[in-house]
Amino acid sequence: MKRNAMTVVIGAVLIVIFALLLFVFQVRQSEVAVVTTFGKPTAQPYDKPGAYFKWPWPIQKVYKFDQRVQNFEDRFSENLTGDSNPLLVMVYVGWKITDARAFFPKFAGGSTLAAQNMLESMLRSAKSAVVGKHPLADFVNADAKQLKFDAIEIEIEQAVQSQLQTNNCGIGIAFLGIKKLGLPENVTQTVFQRMTSERQILISRFQYEGEAEAQKIKSAADRQAAETIANADAAATRIRGEGEAEAARVLPVFEQNPELANFLLRISALQQSLNQRATLIFDERTPPFDLFQHLPTNAPSR
Amino acid sequence: MSHDHEPDHTHEHPAPAPVTPDDAGSQALAEALHSSFAIVKVVMVLMVLAFFSSGFFTVGPQEKAVILRFGRPVGEGEKVLLNSGWHWSYPYPIDEVVKIPITEIQKVNSTVGWYATTAEQELSGEELPSGPSLNPAVDGYAITADRNIIHTRATLYYHIEDPIHFVFNFVSASNTVQNALNNALFYTAAHFNVDDVLTRDVAGFRDAVLQRVSDLTEQDQLGIVIDQCEVQSIPPRQLQDVFTRVTTARENRNKILNDARSYENQVLSQAGAQASSITNAAAADRARFVESITAEAKRFGDLLPKYESNPGLFAQMTLVQAMGPILTNAQDKIFLPERADGKPRELRLMLNREPPQPKSAPANP
Repeated sequence: MKRNAMTVVIGAVLIVIFALLLFVFQVRQSEVAVVTTFGKPTAQPYDKPGAYFKWPWPIQKVYKFDQRVQNFEDRFSENLTGDSNPLLVMVYVGWKITDARAFFPKFAGGSTLAAQNMLESMLRSAKSAVVGKHPLADFVNADAKQLKFDAIEIEIEQAVQSQLQTNNCGIGIAFLGIKKLGLPENVTQTVFQRMTSERQILISRFQYEGEAEAQKIKSAADRQAAETIANADAAATRIRGEGEAEAARVLPVFEQNPELANFLLRISALQQSLNQRATLIFDERTPPFDLFQHLPTNAPSR
Repeated sequence: MSHDHEPDHTHEHPAPAPVTPDDAGSQALAEALHSSFAIVKVVMVLMVLAFFSSGFFTVGPQEKAVILRFGRPVGEGEKVLLNSGWHWSYPYPIDEVVKIPITEIQKVNSTVGWYATTAEQELSGEELPSGPSLNPAVDGYAITADRNIIHTRATLYYHIEDPIHFVFNFVSASNTVQNALNNALFYTAAHFNVDDVLTRDVAGFRDAVLQRVSDLTEQDQLGIVIDQCEVQSIPPRQLQDVFTRVTTARENRNKILNDARSYENQVLSQAGAQASSITNAAAADRARFVESITAEAKRFGDLLPKYESNPGLFAQMTLVQAMGPILTNAQDKIFLPERADGKPRELRLMLNREPPQPKSAPANP
């Protein structure tokens, strides 16, 4: 009968779906599944995505875990550095389940919260051990070679990693870094005082440095100016000297007749000296006034 | 199956027409059952349709999608990522669609190095007053290489390059990026001096932060590309005043130095000008001197034969010739004729510092 065949098909489909739900489970990308048989983990965990076969409950049970990197930050806790400075350090960790079979029995039902609690205690001890080995100068330093920031992070990571391994937790650290550094509250106050005094030193240094530097520049300029002028004077003297030397070459001409030379010189000296504002008094014997000598004058012949 | 029942369904409508009145009650019941069964069938068909059409989904312009079939991404390599548009997948539980924002710029802030404040407080400018010290539980700050305290915060812009990595390898990748930024700020501050961070090398500080963040994100294989990084650093508010005074002092120093330099320029250029005028004057003197002595020599050479031919006459002539201009130039000329009796005259001069006025030097006869 038609109707019967239809019912059988529908029934078969329903049974297949029901069976699939019971016998098949999915593992998503980024997930890992552990299958327990009567409460005991069996075989390899399924860490590749896909659909897998299982026996239905209560024979087998599937536990799925997130295989992705999970973030965790520990507490901002105070530690003593190698040179006894209190330093607050907070680290962040990226961790992931590397071995679900080991991870699963370790923490009740595979709870990530329990795992993080354990991680925190491991971090605390690793942090205080590593921070205690390094002086403060390894954390903050202007010299890149002496700064051991990276090295400290790696040391903490290794310490945690080795603890995880010895405990066989099935957890791996993907990365670890310092999130925050700080100082205890009362220390910040003394740091502020020190900073203030450093600033004040800077202020006065800028003031005096500026004035001194300016003075230096000015006096150097004055000196250089004076030097330039002195050089120019020297050069001027030299130039005039050269002129005299050049003139000396002409002197032999005058030596042909010193008497005439002398005479001419005297004349030109006379001309020059009487050039301005001169008052001359003559009598009849001075030429050309001697021409007056024999003139009839209107002088009363007393 | 619905096809099978269709004839029943059409047959049902005219059903009330041929009424068989043997059992009215059972007839009514059968009818009711028939019609409700039909409704159920229609609902079932709709549900099946809805089930399959629920597989349609859209991918927006700024996202990509991945179909997980039985948990496994469908496709190989680049084809895993579905671009924007309409897509179809099998409904849950066979397929699952994961959408990933990709082209849009993502942004994370790092404020672990900043004092306690909120965006509203900052906008309104009403921030909590700063106490004398910083409480590490509340106020964030970074420690510089010279062990000063500063506040610093950063904003990082990035976009996702490898969505598969970003989504399927990290529970909270953006949180990881943020922590990388936090770490970069503290790491970079730890080897910069306070003045470099705040004033001298602000850009260098930012570049170093950026470098560290990109190193870290690359190392952690986050599958992101960093676009931009903004860093802001300020001195602690408690010390704002004294830091401002340092800035003022530095500016003053620069002003004083600039003044000194302009003085220097002025003095040097003046000296240069003066020096060249001195040497130029000397050169002119020299030229004039040489010129005049040469001219003199030439004149001497010209006069010499005349002199030699009759020295006395020449001397006389030259002297008289010279006297001409001398007398012309002289301001006062006084002629004293000989006394008639031939005795010498007595002459008294009154010398005065004042410029001699005409006839101020009278000759007493």
